[in-house]
Amino acid sequence: MDDLLAEFLAETREMLAAVGGELVAWEANPADRARLDAIFRFVHTVKGNCGFFDFPRLEALSHAAEDALAEVRAGRRSASPRLVTAVLAIVDRIGAMIDAIEAGEDLPTRGEDVLIAALEPDSADSADLLAESAGDASGARSTAPNGAQRSIRLPIGLLDSVMSSVSDLVLARNDLSRRMRDAGVDPAVHGPFERLSTILDQVREAVTRMRMQRIEHLFGALPRLVRDLSAELGKQVMIDLEGGDVELDREMIEMIRDPLTHIIRNAIDHGIEPPSQRLAAGKREIGTLHISARQSGNRIMLAIADDGRGIDGMRLVEKAVAAGAISRAEADGLDDTARQALIFEPGISTAAEVTSVSGRGVGMDVVRANIERVGGSIEVNSRPGEGTRIVLSLPLTLSIIPSLTVGAGEQLFAMPRSYVEEIVHGSASHIEFARAGDATLVTVRGKRVACLSLSEQLGFADHLRPEDSTLVLIRLASGDLFALAVDRIFDHEELVIKPLAPAVMATGLYAGSTLLDDGNPVLMLDIAGIARKAQLIGDVQKRARASEEVAEEQVRGTPALLFMGLDGGRKVVRLGAIRRIERVSAAGVDLASDPPRVVIGDSLFPLAGVSDAAALGEQVSVLRLGDGDSEIAYAIDRILDTVELTGEVAAARRTGEAEGTTLVDGLPTEVLDTHWLFACFAAPPRALDPPVCRLPSGDQWAHTILAPLVEAAGYRVVDDSFEGVADVAIATEGGEASPAGGTVITLCSDPERAGQVPGSLYRYDRAGFSAALAALRSGRAA
Amino acid sequence: MNQLVVVIEIAGRRAALRTAEVQSVVELEAICSVPGAPRFVLGLTALRSNTLTVIDAAAAIGLPPHGLPETGARAVIVDHSGHRYALVVDAIDDVAAALGDPAPVAGDAGFGWDRVSEGLIETDRGPALLISLGALLAGPPLVAA
Repeated sequence: MDDLLAEFLAETREMLAAVGGELVAWEANPADRARLDAIFRFVHTVKGNCGFFDFPRLEALSHAAEDALAEVRAGRRSASPRLVTAVLAIVDRIGAMIDAIEAGEDLPTRGEDVLIAALEPDSADSADLLAESAGDASGARSTAPNGAQRSIRLPIGLLDSVMSSVSDLVLARNDLSRRMRDAGVDPAVHGPFERLSTILDQVREAVTRMRMQRIEHLFGALPRLVRDLSAELGKQVMIDLEGGDVELDREMIEMIRDPLTHIIRNAIDHGIEPPSQRLAAGKREIGTLHISARQSGNRIMLAIADDGRGIDGMRLVEKAVAAGAISRAEADGLDDTARQALIFEPGISTAAEVTSVSGRGVGMDVVRANIERVGGSIEVNSRPGEGTRIVLSLPLTLSIIPSLTVGAGEQLFAMPRSYVEEIVHGSASHIEFARAGDATLVTVRGKRVACLSLSEQLGFADHLRPEDSTLVLIRLASGDLFALAVDRIFDHEELVIKPLAPAVMATGLYAGSTLLDDGNPVLMLDIAGIARKAQLIGDVQKRARASEEVAEEQVRGTPALLFMGLDGGRKVVRLGAIRRIERVSAAGVDLASDPPRVVIGDSLFPLAGVSDAAALGEQVSVLRLGDGDSEIAYAIDRILDTVELTGEVAAARRTGEAEGTTLVDGLPTEVLDTHWLFACFAAPPRALDPPVCRLPSGDQWAHTILAPLVEAAGYRVVDDSFEGVADVAIATEGGEASPAGGTVITLCSDPERAGQVPGSLYRYDRAGFSAALAALRSGRAA
Repeated sequence: MNQLVVVIEIAGRRAALRTAEVQSVVELEAICSVPGAPRFVLGLTALRSNTLTVIDAAAAIGLPPHGLPETGARAVIVDHSGHRYALVVDAIDDVAAALGDPAPVAGDAGFGWDRVSEGLIETDRGPALLISLGALLAGPPLVAA
């Protein structure tokens, strides 16, 4: 919402600047129709936008001006100089209000009714008043502080060209750095070069951020979409949005707009039942559509869940068989997940009839293709009768891809890290190879999957035996798993990927190219293309076979993150508790407060995991842990790995940060006790309807020293002007007890006296006072 | 037509490229091969932090390939529909003025040349076949490859 507001303010300000000139010209020649139209457009737009936000006074003003101008445009009224002045005054006032809104102040003093009255054709006598209030307005404007951050609007093309220039700069810098190394440049050059290099990195980061947009921009239009669709289909649907503050590459937001809309359409049209059916099924009459966005590493998980009828797997199978996509025999071999995945096959839908809403000939296969085109993946999970959940996993950005560089033959290649599930060495004891004709199969963790040799796929003459190579287990967007045998693994790198010439793209093996720091070009492998060439995908039958499990799956552990704490200890925390991992500047850490706090973005989070400021360095990585309601940050030294917690946790003797110790990779590792962490660090969520505590109005001590304590105890502080009944009232000794309401606590400045008078406390008896407030509060709740 | 062309030699024949299409002539550095690519694509190379696709001009016409050039060999840098290419040719002669419009070649220009050539132009360095960049970079038809 803040973004939208900033945009509204920027737009209005821009229009104000443009309309300023028009106003002057109109004043000189009130008959000028073009000027009139421009001003009319301005007030009309402002009116429209105000209705969207809640600015009734702004709306009233612009509405009145619009009405008057509309009369003039319709020729029912002439543009008298007096009307011009009145409109000018209103435009000025709009400017003043925009300033005030931006500065977060109250809107300037009232007097709009005078301005509005001046527009009336017969309000000849309000001219004086008008002059006065116009003066007012301009006064308010000049005093408006410029503290608030302003935003401007830029053409997208400009932003993109800056981004691409910066990418080129980085490449040129790398090139220069390599040449300097080779040529052995004068050391005096190194200092400035390093500085240039650092600045360039900062610029790149800033530009990347410029391209990032909160996903709110995408979410903003959804409530309306859902409302319209449900009205059209005679259903009742409530939309629930979560995670609007997650940021995504602007281009990516555009790319997923249509797929997301389509999924929502499907959910409302096919998923959520009409009210009568819902009631009959024992559900609430109103269906819910829950859309949540979450950042997980360098991917964004976007989940769309409905509580509708779910996907009928059997009907999908019937349709698929009827459409000839799979044979009857194949159909019988499918499990539930595979059946539901059929929804992504072309030409298959469970819709009994085509409706105007989702029957537009665009199926989920197109949705999947679009998501995969941007390097994302899509999964569907449905329980008949209970609902469907579709999860999109998307990369953060399109142009910089976290990659793994691998060697095949004598050459280096890159592959997107998002595909990589696991890396194992061919000689590892827990994997087995099997030959089936020319094909090689490998069994890893009880799953038998196809094994491709990268050298062989690329047509190199000699290749290593799979046993001697490194296997990269790859999970394709469709969920298929296969192993790619490479000669060597080199490095993880963030690569700026450039498109390839058509002749090279035509091979279907590469997705792009980039320059490494040493200046050599490297090809980015098109993993999906390679799999397609090897005929590993696009065939339901093979898909089912590839995921066929040859052995009962081992007891799966809880996924957890292994990291090094700032105290140097190895620790794990369950992955489910982690919301995000962030790098923050150590300057944003405040260890002096209790609990310690850290600034992330523009919010303060309680910070755990750090005891010594010296351990922080300049930047510190923090895990953002969430329990659904509140979030806390946990400072770490570095991330080691993601692991599965399978072994037993030996419980710690004392409750504390660690719930116990477990074995990870043969080393003792502390398991974080997230329950304890939240209990100690997270602020209890504020009650929606806090109890009210009345403090005596005139008492300076009560309002400055006591009030924070009362608020911390969960009370809302009011003074004597409060009309309702306060749950508790504080009286100070000698002061008058408040007339109305509830319990009264009297505070005495003399500890001796406090003991004598019942219901009174010494005013610095903090423990007693807090206990009394807490007791009253729980009494109220009971 | 009074324009300048770069006169080059491909597979022993004199050919010409419009100067407007030629970026520069550079000495090639190391070439990184592209496994699986058609024969006329020799690989990728880096030039001033750009990635170039290196094209064997003879092979792209459908003639016996020139093969990988040595490091330091000169190549013609051209831009075509957003991509930058380095053309490996037998020799790069000089810039010359074209004397007149391209004229159809009397008789058959020979295998492959018909496809990539816009016609014969007279230059002050003798007659040359004017190369159509788009046709050249598309490579020989798949049947021939």
